[in-house]
Amino acid sequence: MSLSLTLLTDIQDQAAQSTAYDSIWAGGAVPTQEYSGLEQVMLAHDKLYVVLAVVLIIWFGIVILLLRNDARLKAVERTIEERGIRSDDGL
Amino acid sequence: MVNLRRYTLVRNLVLLWVTGVILAAFLLDIPRINILEHTARNLYFHVPMWFTMMAAVFVSAYHSFQVLRSDDLVRDIRALQAARVGAFFGILGLVTGIVWSKYTWYVGTDVWWNFDPRQSMVSLQLLIYGAYFVLRGALDDPSKRARIAAVYNLFAATTTPFLLYVIPRQMDSLHPGAEGNPAFSEITHPVMRLVFYPAIIGFIGLFWVLYTQRVRTALLKLRTTHDPEL
Repeated sequence: MSLSLTLLTDIQDQAAQSTAYDSIWAGGAVPTQEYSGLEQVMLAHDKLYVVLAVVLIIWFGIVILLLRNDARLKAVERTIEERGIRSDDGL
Repeated sequence: MVNLRRYTLVRNLVLLWVTGVILAAFLLDIPRINILEHTARNLYFHVPMWFTMMAAVFVSAYHSFQVLRSDDLVRDIRALQAARVGAFFGILGLVTGIVWSKYTWYVGTDVWWNFDPRQSMVSLQLLIYGAYFVLRGALDDPSKRARIAAVYNLFAATTTPFLLYVIPRQMDSLHPGAEGNPAFSEITHPVMRLVFYPAIIGFIGLFWVLYTQRVRTALLKLRTTHDPEL
């Protein structure tokens, strides 16, 4: 009885001290399993690699857009070359 | 059509600016919050994606409105390319959000996607813009296509603020700014604002550069093939 009471006060204390974000989690039964290999990597150094992953996603997104833009531009350039349009034809 | 000198100037400024933002994002010390830890720095990257998409939606809707007023095909090109680059930033925002949530909301579980209202609604919004691109592909006559696409694009733009900001905030969500979760203004440290606001400016500038690049290519295509679709 006294043990469960202590536990309850502990949880309440945690909830009172915690910041806004974890108030949802504190006291609730969060199903936590062993961290998988990927999670162990991503959570290292206080989750810094999550930020790296986000920056890399944006970077590769920009790279993909850049390559697609290049392909479009190349198609237009090819049309111009095939038709032999010169620069004084109004282009 | 496109002021090249202004384009080059803005492009160079944007590249320098974003480089500075990335450096500041990693080098400045921030207060550690439980569960978030260093991922709080994603505020500088994930959130500006949505600001940028919102800006793109405004630009696109403005040009669609001008299409209906003037029947100008160049306006149609601008509306399409702003929507395209806007959707690109939206997809980046969604994917970066999924990764961020995996290691905060869903840490210690196998969950990557749990139909959080915020994520579901923005997916719906991206699908609405997907329909805009498909609709354009279904119409052959350029001036008819410009007008019909403009009407649809104005509808798509009006749904955006509701799907992004209004509806998710009425529902229970783990995303900040929702029911039962504090919003940005209540929890963000001044040091983070110092990087966050410049990051928004930087990414909107990046949008402008990418968008102008595509408009230039589309204009060139219009002049050579009489079909501006990219």
